[in-house]
Amino acid sequence: MGIAATIRAQQSGLRSAENQETRKRSVEPILKTENLWKLYHAGKVEVPALRGVNFEVQPGESVAVMGPSGCGKSSLLYVIGGLAQASRGKVLVDGNDLTEMRDSARTKLRRSKIGFVFQRFNLLPTLSAKGNIAIAQYIHGDGFDPHRFDVVTKMLGLEGRLTHKPSEMSGGEQQRVAIARAIINEPKILLADEPTGNLDTKNSEIVLEMLRRLNKDLGQTIVMITHNPEATTYFDRVVHMRDGVIVDGIPAD
Amino acid sequence: MMGELIFRNLLHRPARTLIGIIAISVEVALVVLIVGLTSGLLTETAKRIEGIGADIMLQPPAASIFLGFSGSPMPIKIGDKLKDLKYVQAVAPALLQFNSTGGVEVVYGIDRDSFREVTGGFIFLSGRDMEAPDDVLVDDWAARAKNLKVGDTYNLFNNDWHVAGIVEHGKGSRGFVPIVTLQDLVGAHDKASIFFIKCTRPEHTEDVMEEMRKPENFPGYTIRPLKDLLSLMTSTNIPGLQVFIDAMIALAVSIGLLVIFLTMYTTVIERTRDIGVLKSLGANPPFIIRALLMESALLCLGGIAGGVALSYGVRAAFQAGFPTLSILITPAWVVRAGLIALLGTLVGASYPAWVASRKDVVEALTFD
Repeated sequence: MGIAATIRAQQSGLRSAENQETRKRSVEPILKTENLWKLYHAGKVEVPALRGVNFEVQPGESVAVMGPSGCGKSSLLYVIGGLAQASRGKVLVDGNDLTEMRDSARTKLRRSKIGFVFQRFNLLPTLSAKGNIAIAQYIHGDGFDPHRFDVVTKMLGLEGRLTHKPSEMSGGEQQRVAIARAIINEPKILLADEPTGNLDTKNSEIVLEMLRRLNKDLGQTIVMITHNPEATTYFDRVVHMRDGVIVDGIPAD
Repeated sequence: MMGELIFRNLLHRPARTLIGIIAISVEVALVVLIVGLTSGLLTETAKRIEGIGADIMLQPPAASIFLGFSGSPMPIKIGDKLKDLKYVQAVAPALLQFNSTGGVEVVYGIDRDSFREVTGGFIFLSGRDMEAPDDVLVDDWAARAKNLKVGDTYNLFNNDWHVAGIVEHGKGSRGFVPIVTLQDLVGAHDKASIFFIKCTRPEHTEDVMEEMRKPENFPGYTIRPLKDLLSLMTSTNIPGLQVFIDAMIALAVSIGLLVIFLTMYTTVIERTRDIGVLKSLGANPPFIIRALLMESALLCLGGIAGGVALSYGVRAAFQAGFPTLSILITPAWVVRAGLIALLGTLVGASYPAWVASRKDVVEALTFD
């Protein structure tokens, strides 16, 4: 279902919170890791970043991953997002095992099922906000869909900033463009790597609120890495990591 | 979208883009001008010799098609024997001598009466024909280039000559002196480098040539119809010239290739994070390679346009300074130079594009 259609459905009351809860409980996890290891090589030394992570995310769930620097949060995000290859274990994204895939297949899966939001926004500096969002549609292969584009940019309050380049926008605006780029192709999972790490408190709240709306209103599955304890209040569940393993998983409230 | 990305990327670093365009422009202009200069000089020389109006030329055995290169002059009495051949209307001997003062040129020592019989005579723009032993005729291009007018003194072969007349160009040489004077000057008494032969009718040319080749006449001598001269005057007929042209083209292409290589390599390094972003969005290696090669190609197209403009500009500047210099710019060679530049550009950009496509996405995203 398209974003516009989803919004319309939401407006007509067809998708109630109860329905979402029922769906979350009844379906297979959209993301699942089993005994996931990620080893980096520093010369002849193997440095484990992930040490047998077992982790599940249900469709429509929002999960915050917290932990100290170097605990493996970013490595987890890169591996479940198909940006890096796992060393051992399994990563299942929407039923597809990433560990069995070649780089080209992971690229294809990334294109169709995963959206990324980064701490440093990572917008293409030469393109306008519109270009930065449209390039994701172009790479996705559907071409420019003006209707979907309008829905997403209105939802994120970007209508007046579309002709501006990243250097002409505030951090909060840039991050909203990055979110728009990440969700323009309706990915199954949105992965956010400390999206508020470079923002002030006000803009952090705006971005977090938008992520919450994406999750609550549109049922967007979100996994976010953060250092900010306050950010976790916007999410269904918080997962703590330490030394490459998940140490717990507790409800946020 | 790809087009916008490429276009914006080129505009993002205008100085670097400009340097790339200039490098390609210089490459294209070098190729066009080197080829244009050689073919221009050869074609123009051939047309001038054809303009003499003779049907056949006779040179010593193994003489070069490039008249000034031929040594070993022939006895001038050969002319009398030629005149006796059937269908020969007129014969004009000429002694050719290189002059390197104020530019390289071949001066013709001629007998004015016989030369007039063969050529139909000069068209005088000013002055008169040669009468005194130190008279010289120059054509209008040479007169303009050397700022000569009738009555001036013109230093040629370290001797002062009197400019007797300015003639219209197209009669073999840009300078003419009496053959007897030139024979004395170069120690070639009663000698000629070449004989121009006018047949009674052009269709008798083959018959006369056949007669000339007979054992009792001029066996082994170089006998050529002038109508074939244009097609024979090519760089491939000058030993080493084609190699020189090829070497210069290779040098020009190398410059363009290396500049594009460096431009695109620094571009890839600078855009490492952007490449990571594109990959995170699902761009595969062919997409990255295509984007960079298309960017290089667009840069090259700008360079080709600049190179063509530069070629015409340089030609205009040269011809203003050196009117006798002929640079022939042909559409065929403009297209060929463009294709050579495009090929060099794509080769130069291939490695950086490949490097970009192979970048690890996580390393690229964390690149500073």
